[in-house]
Amino acid sequence: MRLLCSILGALALLTQAHGADIAVALTDDLVEVDADFAGARLTLFGAVTGVDNPADTIDVIAVIQGPPTRFAVRRIERRNFIWRPGDRHFVDSAPGLYLTASTRPITDIAPLPDQAAYNLGTDFLAFNAVSPGESSEESDHSRMFVDAFITEVENKGLYLDQVGGVSFKKGALFAINADLPATTPVGEYEVSVYLYRHGELLGHDSARLVVNKVGIERRIYDLAHQQPVTYGVLCIVLSLLGGWAAHLAFRK
Amino acid sequence: MQIYLPIAEMPVDPLVVIFMGGAVGFLSGMFGVGGGFLMTPLLIFYGIPPAVAVGTEASQIVASSVSGVLAHLKRKTVDFQMGGFLVAGGAVGAVIGIIIFRYFRAIGQIETFIAIAYVVFLGLIGGLMLLESMRALFRPAERPRARRKHRSAEWMAAMPFAMRFRRSQLYISPIPPIILGFFVGVLSAIMGVGGGFIMVPAMIYLLHMPTNVVIGTSLFQIIFVTAIATMLHAAANQTVDVVLALLLLAGGVIGAQLGVRAGLKLKGEQLRALLALVVLAVCARLLFGLVTPPASPFIVEAVS
Repeated sequence: MRLLCSILGALALLTQAHGADIAVALTDDLVEVDADFAGARLTLFGAVTGVDNPADTIDVIAVIQGPPTRFAVRRIERRNFIWRPGDRHFVDSAPGLYLTASTRPITDIAPLPDQAAYNLGTDFLAFNAVSPGESSEESDHSRMFVDAFITEVENKGLYLDQVGGVSFKKGALFAINADLPATTPVGEYEVSVYLYRHGELLGHDSARLVVNKVGIERRIYDLAHQQPVTYGVLCIVLSLLGGWAAHLAFRK
Repeated sequence: MQIYLPIAEMPVDPLVVIFMGGAVGFLSGMFGVGGGFLMTPLLIFYGIPPAVAVGTEASQIVASSVSGVLAHLKRKTVDFQMGGFLVAGGAVGAVIGIIIFRYFRAIGQIETFIAIAYVVFLGLIGGLMLLESMRALFRPAERPRARRKHRSAEWMAAMPFAMRFRRSQLYISPIPPIILGFFVGVLSAIMGVGGGFIMVPAMIYLLHMPTNVVIGTSLFQIIFVTAIATMLHAAANQTVDVVLALLLLAGGVIGAQLGVRAGLKLKGEQLRALLALVVLAVCARLLFGLVTPPASPFIVEAVS
């Protein structure tokens, strides 16, 4: 019911505008991801106005970006016959999660300059990798670490382009489906949607949402990091009880 | 089925983890060892971050040692006085161990450090055990121990503050047990082991404790030292995964019972040779991981 209201509200706003436009309506601006299984699916809704048969003529690209995060990238190097991680290189303020969802492959929807301007797709994300004691100038060395960073976060499912992740439902309504990995960072996310027809940008909208993890696993994590001493005592008590229970269970 | 480990921050199949706990529990029941030095590498092979494997294993050893020591308490085969000195040394050792652990974590080399520590210790212990059991299997008549015993007894007698240990029937200085406890405490904190595999031979051959009190006293000191190590890992590193520990415990308890039964069917020397081979295999696998190029040449981690 809430979902329907918010979508109708978005539609009402849009009908006042002239021509084609787009709005993204969030069913809830707080998304709670259950952390006790391998991943979660995020579903968002949006609406398009001023277009007849949008499903046939319109393309939508949605970009979901997680909170800015500092990442450390290290190359495993061989020293004295042993392979071990080398110095840290930092990638500053990269999105903690970067997912795109679109009706068709992004390269078929948007022209190259747009892709670069709006960072549409993991290929168009621009970062610098900086190591302490090294200038931040663009160098081959820096690019190698940036490429490695993107490859690794893609492998972890944190950076992903999901073709077909946007689908039109009924008339002007569309749904964005994104698969979140279990390691999804918590925090404030930004969702941007871009409306395209024949390679031309017709409209743009964005919204913010907060991703929270819930479930017993998350509570354990919070306890361990916020009250580590209490958590340590709890671990020891559980171990003592566990050992005692084992003794009772197998007493001859 | 999958569950998410809150501290290791990865999804695992609980049945696989319980089975791993059971397999190591079986070996520890069969051979009469704690099993931490096998469990920690196994967790690392499974993909648990090495620092979490060490911290979690410390808490699991608390549990398995408690269930072991209760039987010894009933038989009065625990020397509390000796245990107290071992714990005193062990507590200081655990703190030093955590400081070393944190240093290597801060410079980002903790994985490599843990692996090298394991290769060195498993290689040494496994090699010595294999030599010893081979000698026993092929030349069972030989017994060249008397002279060495005498020499170490003289060295012990020269230490100050000698006192009587009634249950161990010894009159020695508390300094050697404190030093021994310290050394094992350092290992315990760094490697996530109880250290029984060093403590037990040292008690017999260095301190000359009677064999009937050795296991109980070793378990007694392991409980305290691994509990301290658990506390320090939880407080300073946030690397104790209670869900993982409980899964391992569930499997380990059952495995240990089956292992004890299986162990009764094998001879002592055969058992020791078998354990030596298991230890050397784990050592070889860790060494292989250190000297071969990694599957993925880069590591990426979020920095808070």
